[in-house]
Amino acid sequence: MGSLWRQVTAVTKINLMSIAQRRWLSLSTVIAIALVVIVLLAFLAMANGFRATIAGSGADDIAIVLRAGSQAEINSTVTRDQVRLIEDGPGIARGPDGKPLVSSELYLVVDGIKRSTQTKANLPLRGIGEQGATLRKGIAITEGRMFSRGSNEIVVGKALLREFDGFNIGSTVSFGTSRWTVVGVFDAGGSVFESEIWADLPVVQSLFNRNNIFQTVRARLTSPAALAELKSYSDSDPRLKLDVKSENAYFAEQASQTTDLIQKLGWPLAIAMAFGALAGALNTMYSSVAARATEIATLRAIGFGGFPAFVGTLAESLLLAAIGGLLGAAATYLIFDGITASTLGGNFTQVVFDFKLSPALIVDGVALALIVGLIGGFFPAIRAARLPIVSGLYAT
Amino acid sequence: MNDFSLVRKNLFRRKLRAILMIVSILVAFMIFGVLAGFYRAFTAGEDRAAADRMITVNKINFTQPMPIAYYNRVRAVEGVRQVTFANWFGGYYQEPKNFIMALAIEPATYFDVYRSELDIAPDAQQAFIRERSSAVVGEALANKWGWKVGDRVPIQSNIFSQKSGGHSWDFTIAGIVKGKAAHVDTNFFLFQFNYFDETRSFGKDTIGWLILQTSAPENNDRVAKTIDAMFANSTAETSTDTEKAFGKAFAAQFGNIALIVSLVVGAAFVTILMIVGNTMALSIRERTREIGVLKTLGFSGPRILGMVLGESILLALLGGLPGLAVAALIAMALRNSLQNVAPAFSVSPDIVLQGLGMMIALGLITGLIPAVNAMRLKIATALGRG
Repeated sequence: MGSLWRQVTAVTKINLMSIAQRRWLSLSTVIAIALVVIVLLAFLAMANGFRATIAGSGADDIAIVLRAGSQAEINSTVTRDQVRLIEDGPGIARGPDGKPLVSSELYLVVDGIKRSTQTKANLPLRGIGEQGATLRKGIAITEGRMFSRGSNEIVVGKALLREFDGFNIGSTVSFGTSRWTVVGVFDAGGSVFESEIWADLPVVQSLFNRNNIFQTVRARLTSPAALAELKSYSDSDPRLKLDVKSENAYFAEQASQTTDLIQKLGWPLAIAMAFGALAGALNTMYSSVAARATEIATLRAIGFGGFPAFVGTLAESLLLAAIGGLLGAAATYLIFDGITASTLGGNFTQVVFDFKLSPALIVDGVALALIVGLIGGFFPAIRAARLPIVSGLYAT
Repeated sequence: MNDFSLVRKNLFRRKLRAILMIVSILVAFMIFGVLAGFYRAFTAGEDRAAADRMITVNKINFTQPMPIAYYNRVRAVEGVRQVTFANWFGGYYQEPKNFIMALAIEPATYFDVYRSELDIAPDAQQAFIRERSSAVVGEALANKWGWKVGDRVPIQSNIFSQKSGGHSWDFTIAGIVKGKAAHVDTNFFLFQFNYFDETRSFGKDTIGWLILQTSAPENNDRVAKTIDAMFANSTAETSTDTEKAFGKAFAAQFGNIALIVSLVVGAAFVTILMIVGNTMALSIRERTREIGVLKTLGFSGPRILGMVLGESILLALLGGLPGLAVAALIAMALRNSLQNVAPAFSVSPDIVLQGLGMMIALGLITGLIPAVNAMRLKIATALGRG
């Protein structure tokens, strides 16, 4: 057994040291595998970043109330009477003054200009109630101040400010004939709210001709478990019949469509490319076996077994694949991690997000690379193990 | 035995190696075919937009409503040949996930404005105009759900409600609308605006957008300026653009799809360039002695050059053409599920042509250095080596 182990290490060492002789072919395999991993990880990092932004926006002790079947805030309509009924509903936390911690909101789409392309893009203008900002976790004004109630002032999320033109503090923004002053910038811990414009609800209602119209109601629950109470209250009152969800669940749904789509694009593309790289790896490894035919046959002639030849070839292939995989992961991290992009989200408005590469994704990428290396090395390794000694010795 | 059979024999002398290279080239061209076909279909709207068609939307954003009175005011603008309008319904059938692209439209003018794309039988259109709660359905959508003329179909809205309280409207199908060309997306459900406006619980007398046709594309700018000036400083200011510009701006909202497509295709091609280039170099190096023999037999340098390039181009074609064929099959298989994003998704003849150009370029690039080396090879060195 000890001698087999020694044989395996000896042959493996020879294999690995001989890579330099086939450097161009080996390098092309490494780069091919790296490119497969880059394509895969870039898509996965995009999906992951998008999901982190949207899914990280919700809290499980906040209920969001929408018109039944409306699926997204932009479609929903809730009447004044329904808002009142919800405010009186069970399970809703109350402030020290006894008022329910509730924000009824309007969600409108306005045009902005995307900095990178200078084209029009849909931006969300949210009219929020008095409790609007406190119902979201981690909202902090980083520049300027909050809008004052009753005035046509807006505050903008910092991601929106970064990606779209014309929202600097102090500037005047027109939406149709209405004019607004940007008075503050807010941080929302990287959540989707950072891609929004906020203003005082009654002002938005009147300047956009939406008097007495609301789209959603957000409410702080006494506990996450109180959601069920509020839900059955809404279901049993024919005047309500609204969709009541936890904000967490709502945003998870919002995120899933787009992230599913990105992943459904990324995986098949990467797998298709992996087949191309696999062909390259097989080619390289068969060439490696052919180039070392004499050497392998010599080793066999002096008593080495077929197994060490098998392991040596497989190890060479796996090493090339591992280098390719790690190179791909490193390149993805350097090129894509943290880059900002924006796309249309479930609410038909731009969501600004960052590509996020996570350790779990890197594991996926390197695993794909190793699978290519394993299959790409396996068949040539069998050939190496079975190489007939005599013909091998005469091979040139 | 002519030069071509020599080229063929050379290429397949190591069968496995040739097949592996063909597979990697096939994969790259398959990716190219699918992505280029998708991108073409995704942007088809802007490419094929009629030059004389314009869209007027609320200046705040195209999701904001406008007064219906704008319809008649725009009709009166000089240089406008025809106007129609539409309103988004947010439709779905049975379950929210069964999205239906449903629009409330003006039935008399809509098919006139879209007459170069949409084909509706005159009696079907008459029936549609006559029966207030009727609808016409695009062929693709009708096929998807098996709807026929005379069927009664309930369509729900995720936005609007009936005055009577429900979210569902019942429509009788008055006709099926066909596309006049393969690229026309017929995944739509159209019904009468007037009926919708009378039955909905809010938003009365507002419309989503106007579609107008100018008397000639040269008038586009002037017409757009006139319309937007007409509604300036009103409660609903407008923004008028060509259909093409509007479509382009909308597609750009999803992100830089063109960049993503070219990066992925680029990565796939760099991969095969390296793999095939190196392997070609290796296989020519292995044949040094033979090339020496050929030269001894009187093959000229340029002829050797041609044979090596012929081999690499043949290799690229053998991988590339089936790659495009596989891409065409994939496009066919995905066409229905991508109907809403990329209607008429296919590998079009111009993509095939572009692909052919890329195959020849690939063959030339990967074969060039080995071919030049082989051409310059001196007989003495060739026969002396190895």
